[in-house]
Amino acid sequence: MSKMNNKETSSKKRGLFATLGRWFKRLFFGSSRELEDFDPVSAAERARQADVEEIVSPAMQVFRGFVAHKGAMFAICVVIAMFILVFVGPLFMPNYDDAYKETTQKNIRPGLSMMSIPDDIANDIKSVDSYGSFSVGLSNSGKVAVWGDTKLGTTGIDVADIPEAVQNANILYLAAGYDHIIAIDDEGHVYGWGNDRLGQYGYFDETAYPNILSMPEDIANGATVNVDDIKELECGYQASCILMKDGSKIIWGNKNSYSNLDTISLNPTPIIDIDFTLNFVVCIQEDANSIFTGQRGMYTKVRGDLDEDTVSMFEFIGNRKIVSLSAAQKDVAFLLDDGTVGFSGDYSLNEVSMGDFEDGEKVVDISSGHHHHIIRTNLGNVYSCGDNTWGQLNVPRKAESADHILSTGFQNYAVDENGKIITKWGLKGYIFGTNGDGQDIFQRIINGGKMTMTIGAVAVIISSIIGIIVGCISGYFGGAVDIFLMRVTEIFSAIPFLPFALILSAIMGSLPWSENAKIFLIMCILGVLTWTGLARLVRGQVLVAREAEYVTAAKAMGVKESKIAFKHILPNVISVILVTLTLDFAGCMLTESSLSYLGFGVTPPRPTWGNMLNGANNFTIISNFWWQWLFPAIFLAITTICINVVGDTLRDVMDPKGNSER
Amino acid sequence: MGKYILKRLGYMFVVLIILSFLLFLIYNLVPSNRAYTDANEQVKTMKHLTPEESKAKFNELYKEYQIKYGTDTNNKLVRYLRWVGVMPNARGDYIGLLQGNFGYSYQEKDDVVNVIPAPMKNTVIINIFSTILALGITIPLGILCAVKKGSRGDKFVGVFTIIGYSLPVFLIAILFIWLFCSKLHWFPPSGMKTLGVNLEGWAYIKDRAYYLALPLITMTFCSLGSMTRYVRASMIDALSLDCIKTARAKGVREKVVIFSHAFRNALIPIVTLVIGWFLSIFSGSLMIEQMFGLNGMGDLMITSLRTSDFDVIMILQVFYVTIALLGNLIIDIAYGLVDPRVRVNK
Repeated sequence: MSKMNNKETSSKKRGLFATLGRWFKRLFFGSSRELEDFDPVSAAERARQADVEEIVSPAMQVFRGFVAHKGAMFAICVVIAMFILVFVGPLFMPNYDDAYKETTQKNIRPGLSMMSIPDDIANDIKSVDSYGSFSVGLSNSGKVAVWGDTKLGTTGIDVADIPEAVQNANILYLAAGYDHIIAIDDEGHVYGWGNDRLGQYGYFDETAYPNILSMPEDIANGATVNVDDIKELECGYQASCILMKDGSKIIWGNKNSYSNLDTISLNPTPIIDIDFTLNFVVCIQEDANSIFTGQRGMYTKVRGDLDEDTVSMFEFIGNRKIVSLSAAQKDVAFLLDDGTVGFSGDYSLNEVSMGDFEDGEKVVDISSGHHHHIIRTNLGNVYSCGDNTWGQLNVPRKAESADHILSTGFQNYAVDENGKIITKWGLKGYIFGTNGDGQDIFQRIINGGKMTMTIGAVAVIISSIIGIIVGCISGYFGGAVDIFLMRVTEIFSAIPFLPFALILSAIMGSLPWSENAKIFLIMCILGVLTWTGLARLVRGQVLVAREAEYVTAAKAMGVKESKIAFKHILPNVISVILVTLTLDFAGCMLTESSLSYLGFGVTPPRPTWGNMLNGANNFTIISNFWWQWLFPAIFLAITTICINVVGDTLRDVMDPKGNSER
Repeated sequence: MGKYILKRLGYMFVVLIILSFLLFLIYNLVPSNRAYTDANEQVKTMKHLTPEESKAKFNELYKEYQIKYGTDTNNKLVRYLRWVGVMPNARGDYIGLLQGNFGYSYQEKDDVVNVIPAPMKNTVIINIFSTILALGITIPLGILCAVKKGSRGDKFVGVFTIIGYSLPVFLIAILFIWLFCSKLHWFPPSGMKTLGVNLEGWAYIKDRAYYLALPLITMTFCSLGSMTRYVRASMIDALSLDCIKTARAKGVREKVVIFSHAFRNALIPIVTLVIGWFLSIFSGSLMIEQMFGLNGMGDLMITSLRTSDFDVIMILQVFYVTIALLGNLIIDIAYGLVDPRVRVNK
């Protein structure tokens, strides 16, 4: 016994962590080995004991009992895997950003088909275009293919249903908008399919639809355009334009998405090139050496590379001339007649610059996706710049030998001189789909899980600290202290949990605090509201343990009371505490997600499993965009179910009465 | 018994006062000045005022409103006592909860007294129905599982109950809306009744039932998990009592053993749970009401929180706390009634 006491005092010097470690060691491996250290039994003696009966510590028994439960072992593996996934997973997503939003990628179905160009046109490709969730490809033989997420939101339209007339015709030009496709065949017929409710194609009367710039009536009704005169066909968000070689254009679409549609349409000056950003039609006029939008002050500042300082357009161009332009969503890249490239528009800070050219290297052609530009030079080098969230800029080596590169949206296809696709890179698709803001649900689940689990864990730690201290003091000292603390516990347990948590976080939420402070506050609210159960449990256990002989012995030796409560009794009740902690952890995660679901917890754009489901509180989303609620729900459900199974099994195997009955 | 109840009621009263005072303090953290807003609005409606005049008018009104709302002092305790109605305001009037002044709802533009009854009625109806349904299912199911412990059916139910209590209410609600409204088209996704139609008699009841069916099913389903587990556990405990062995040894029929001997012993923890759960359901249905667009207390509370309608929230909070405290009292009394071994006046 005196040796035991020595052990105790020496461990005090070693500090808190050693003590905690020892508790855990005792919990799982028993304290027999500790005794061995200073009370060695001879080997023969030990062997004889082993022959008679193997003595295991209660904790070891619990451990073995737990291992015997296959379901519980599976559950604990799942929980550990989930932990690893949400805490290690974000490290593999360096490009992930909470606030990332993408208008063109809203509500996309789960799938990885956005870059799966069909084989029959992959060897003979002429052009590829994409603006929204799907891509269209045109082969040199005039065949059309559509791939990606082709079902358009709630409209019930599937753009993969290519009209028969288009399938039979020899298509020469093909372009895709956000939810429509325009094609022109060799006879000059203009076809459109997809969504036509907002003027994407077809004839709309100007007086009845003031916000639509209609397609010319004759073309909509089957009149032909002269194919030989067409220079290019371009589609924007919900607008399209046919540019003629003589600089005239036929342009139509939704004026709400492009406010300068009228201005461009009415402008009689011949234009060289035209393209669509997300909100503006941009073009180069033949006489004016600048980017024309019909609005003053747009695209007047230019830079030679993304990391350079801006200069005025006039200064940058000097006496050179703009040959062509290529628009991304917020910015425009343009090519000058001496093979230099310039960029104009808004860039976010995380965008990657192009890098330096070799001497005498000239840009041959630029192709742009939504947020990136691919630049090919006369030396065959391929440069890329812009946003790299989906790996659009990771140009493979093979692409250097390409004849030209087709960049659309978030994908790039390198094509050789025979029209065969050599390699492709960029966004394959979203494995769990996207939400209403165009955010990748998979990435948000991983990052949101981190937040949900952190909140649950910290809340449980807070609640267990309060609960253990109150329970130990109350149980050990008894009397007036006990009565007082139990009254306080009763007050706290009388608080109706969800309403109170709601009110607290709503009120605290309206205070001018930082986001992180508010999240910490939510953890505190959850912790402060859940400690009462644990306090009662610990008190009960301590009440029993207080009468045990080892406590009497410790008392007789003159050990301080507080030390007996926390150092002698607490380690003996820690197994019961662990079970409660496990179950409380699941409970706190659920409460956090309930709060966030109602909008009173963590608020978007920061994701948690709860507020990811917040989007699913309306019937349209529940019935049409199942992936937006199903995947976060599955992750949340699996995690809490498994944690509860682990907690339940622990409780069962720790209860000797329950064990014998089983 | 009477003395015990009185003592508990007194204790309850103290807790209620402490909690409501704490809440009152928290509300006062929120930077909102109702007197200022009201005075400002009223001045704005008056026309033909020079800036000086309007300023003077504003100051006058501001003071008046501060007196009216009892906010003319910074002493939180005084404000609290005025709100309760045990201390007069600057004019010497007692206007507080005790005088029946529950405040004014800015969202509904009506006194709180008039705002609360309709939602409360709905909530109580929904909760009573779902409690009856849940008890009707869980008690027989729990008993059956306990009696056939370890059987395939028991394990099957066990899996379901663990899933049931691990899933948050809103998740089950989403799942049910998707399944029953979107896929099967059996029930409407939200609402209390068919809009724009005035029905009476049987048709009215049928319409209500049609709209309330899915919320009720969801609520019942959510409570199945924990209830069944609890009934099963206490029934297993009761079945292992010595008296059961004796009864069986004496040759009492198994049915009698289960329902007369074991169930009555198992009833004690069940009663605790049922009452506690019935009371907690007032806050539990918060989620359901919100999801199905039912005009209940929970819905009212969330709307009020979103619109910062603090008079309503305060009253609701007091209501919830009162319910919880009453629940504790009823549980203790019920304990004494069900279990003759427990004497509550001790």
